Amino acid sequence: MQTVTITVNGEAFKEAVPERLLLVDFLRERLALTGTHVSCTYEGVCGACTVHLDGDAVKSCLILAVQADGHEVTTVEGLAKGEELSALQKAFREEHGLQCGFCTPGILMNMTDFLKHNPNPTDDEIRMGLIGNLCRCTGYVHIVRAVRTAAKMLAASAA
Amino acid sequence: MFPANIEQYVRPQSVAEALAACAGYDAGEAMFIAGGQSLMQAMKSRMTRPRCLIDLQAISELKGICTDEGAFHIGAMTRYVSIANDERLTGYFAALRDAAHHVGDRQVRNRGTIGGSCCWNYVASCMPAVVMGLGGEMKLQAADGSQRSVTAEDFLIAPLETARADDEILLAIRIPQPAGRGGSAYKKWGLVKDALPVVGVCVAVTLDSNDRCATARVALAGLSAGAHRATAAEQALVGTAGDAAAIAKAFDAAANAADAQGDKWADVAYRQNLIRTLGQAVATSAFARAAGHRE
Repeated sequence: MQTVTITVNGEAFKEAVPERLLLVDFLRERLALTGTHVSCTYEGVCGACTVHLDGDAVKSCLILAVQADGHEVTTVEGLAKGEELSALQKAFREEHGLQCGFCTPGILMNMTDFLKHNPNPTDDEIRMGLIGNLCRCTGYVHIVRAVRTAAKMLAASAA
Repeated sequence: MFPANIEQYVRPQSVAEALAACAGYDAGEAMFIAGGQSLMQAMKSRMTRPRCLIDLQAISELKGICTDEGAFHIGAMTRYVSIANDERLTGYFAALRDAAHHVGDRQVRNRGTIGGSCCWNYVASCMPAVVMGLGGEMKLQAADGSQRSVTAEDFLIAPLETARADDEILLAIRIPQPAGRGGSAYKKWGLVKDALPVVGVCVAVTLDSNDRCATARVALAGLSAGAHRATAAEQALVGTAGDAAAIAKAFDAAANAADAQGDKWADVAYRQNLIRTLGQAVATSAFARAAGHRE
């Protein structure tokens, strides 16, 4: 066991954890932040567990909780400011960017990071950015549209 | 799916501390973890069960890309995303960006490292073939503080096997600046976009004063042997002007000489065809980059 301090959505959590505990299980089982999903069997292929580690989108099933000690994690619960959804969340609602919604948290986290680096993406770039996230409802057309709409919303609010 | 019990996790601040952390463990019991995009999978599937994990994330001397008399020195812990975005990597060094842009997905590129990829040396991976194609030198440090440099060919012994000892750390990869104008490129074909390479081809060429190919290095990824040089193509390219006919002939030779094995995804003829078509595209691009043509 090792004691770690991980800042999640702005709040520092100090916990004793087994070294082998995955970050995704730390978030879901220790902190009860169940918005971060596991869609494949922890194989790193589905992207539903994507969170931000120090601002970068990463798969939390490929990181141990002890590796995140001293770092900042943002989960899907940290995207909205109170009741105010982020632009990407609003765009997903408006463009019907989710069907069953299981993959959505990972896609929101990945695409939030994507839009930060590429605020004016082409559809091709959005699709390339989504390679690490599987939607088994196959609702990609609406997802791409939602990301495009979010980019426009962010550009309009910055103008 | 989660790893077997890990007794100890340490996060050293320096290479010397990291090497010291291995002491007391038998070979293979203590493992270094870089980005963990391969090792975590191996641990979760119980293919490896390290008693001790030595996390290299905090060692700043292992990170970053710098130039040294025209050569590029890439720290082992440099992430794919940093390589993909480094606009200095043009001409002879461009294959590094070609490959880094298309490893896995955004999340993997945000975390995975070039050094981790080369030390893991998976049978179907891009970075080992690119480092070999560019004539990279692997700089290692041992527990007693001594350092050595090994060519990529000598380092990358076979899939999942390298010349690195268990208590040695890969510090950096040095890609030397070739004499004359150089260009390189890398391309792969996978089952889905940006997947592991079924076949990947890296070509690096230099031109003489008459725009003829002075040197050529060709490395293949994805075949059962892991990253290896395709000498038949190299010999066929040297002395040519890099025209379509010469390039086609070189990659016919590479495809015929390749020890390709078929599987349910791609049979032997298909893999040979991939070597031909990818090789032609990559070599054309490498020659254009060497000549300074804008793409």
